[in-house]
Amino acid sequence: MNLTADKQEIKSYLLGILDGDRKTQLEERILSAPETYEELLLVEEELIDSYVANGLSELERQQFETHFLITAERQKNLRFGQLLKRYVNSHPFPVAQQNVAAAAIPHVEKGAPAKKSFNLSMLPATGRPVMVFGIAGVVLLGVALLCWLGYKRPPSRLAQQRIEPVVVVTLAPAAAPRVNVPPKGYDLKLELELANPNFRNYKSELFRENKSVQTRGELKLESKGEQYIVPLTITGEMLSPGDYQVKLCGVSESGANEFIDKYSFRVIE
Amino acid sequence: MNKDWELSQEAFDALLDWLDSDREQAALKYEKIRRSLIKIFTGRGCVEPEDLADETINRVTSKLKEIKKEFSGDRTRYFFGVANKVHLEHLRRKLPQPTPPPTNDPDRIELEFNCLERCIEKLSKEHRELLLRYHGADGPAETEHRRALAEELGIAPNALRIRVYRIRMGLKECVEKCIERSLE
Repeated sequence: MNLTADKQEIKSYLLGILDGDRKTQLEERILSAPETYEELLLVEEELIDSYVANGLSELERQQFETHFLITAERQKNLRFGQLLKRYVNSHPFPVAQQNVAAAAIPHVEKGAPAKKSFNLSMLPATGRPVMVFGIAGVVLLGVALLCWLGYKRPPSRLAQQRIEPVVVVTLAPAAAPRVNVPPKGYDLKLELELANPNFRNYKSELFRENKSVQTRGELKLESKGEQYIVPLTITGEMLSPGDYQVKLCGVSESGANEFIDKYSFRVIE
Repeated sequence: MNKDWELSQEAFDALLDWLDSDREQAALKYEKIRRSLIKIFTGRGCVEPEDLADETINRVTSKLKEIKKEFSGDRTRYFFGVANKVHLEHLRRKLPQPTPPPTNDPDRIELEFNCLERCIEKLSKEHRELLLRYHGADGPAETEHRRALAEELGIAPNALRIRVYRIRMGLKECVEKCIERSLE
């Protein structure tokens, strides 16, 4: 079974856009081949996740709503997908912690000989203390030079892979997810979803319990899959349990602000 | 089919015998056929797929004596042929209205979310972490994120999909039971 082709075909089938013969053949396989039936179950869940994450095209979205969601069972599955997405958004798994921890552990090659400590007695005994101190000085200078070079060298691959210590939460205007207070040293990155990307620059105002606490300008539009977002990073230290709102405005070429939407989230312990 | 015909225990036993001489295997095959028929009728846009699947099975069962004489080959294919007829008849009848979407009552949503939280807490640490990490990225980064996760676990990406699917199904079952209990 070609998994990718099967997955795409099943997705089209579930959305009601698979043509006659291929549809009949697939239905026969659903009935007779256990692996196709199992794949169908997996793709159903993935389709729901894509819908919840705004990852479907306009046509797919339309078909999802008019064709896929016809049964009570699937509507129940969609609700579950939405709840799970909300949970995952409010309990992001700190992937970065793992890499940070890994980066903090010195890398030791298995089987490498143990490093010997530097010892003056290893130098040839010359019987002349001045020469011994001279050699020691040169060695110390060498060590200092090596340390400096190490400092100037570009970061190792492991260090480059370190992920920014941010907790990412995608916010849609109608949702109000619960977000945990970010771990110490972490910031909260909100990805504000936009229906229409009409502006190049955006401005935000953050409210806590209806009181303005932060204003940010020069926010740029980004695309994320099929979705447009405006990223807004909030310092983790300024977040405490409570209800927050972000008011987003688009900034026109003339500099005028135009209200776009309000986004809500609740910070919890 | 005679509309008054009902599936008796005797007829059901005969159906199982026809599906497989081993009773346990026959029961598994029956379940699989029924579940697949439900998916097929759902895929064809039928609002009551369970009823149509049962109607298909009943129709096969009621004609089993004749089928046994005439038909040889993959038995699941026979169900597919009958399902097509049942579907055509269904299209001629008045179509039932689609199920209205579930209520968006905020209290109900909170109740369901609380159930989900409780059920996730009941998961083992490994399963909880795997579920959160698997769903931790979407959009263009999703595929790479899941591929890296599978590599870290030393399993194929498809095996990871199946593993997370099973955790998710267990979680869904737990949430459904929790909601039922909470509404009692």
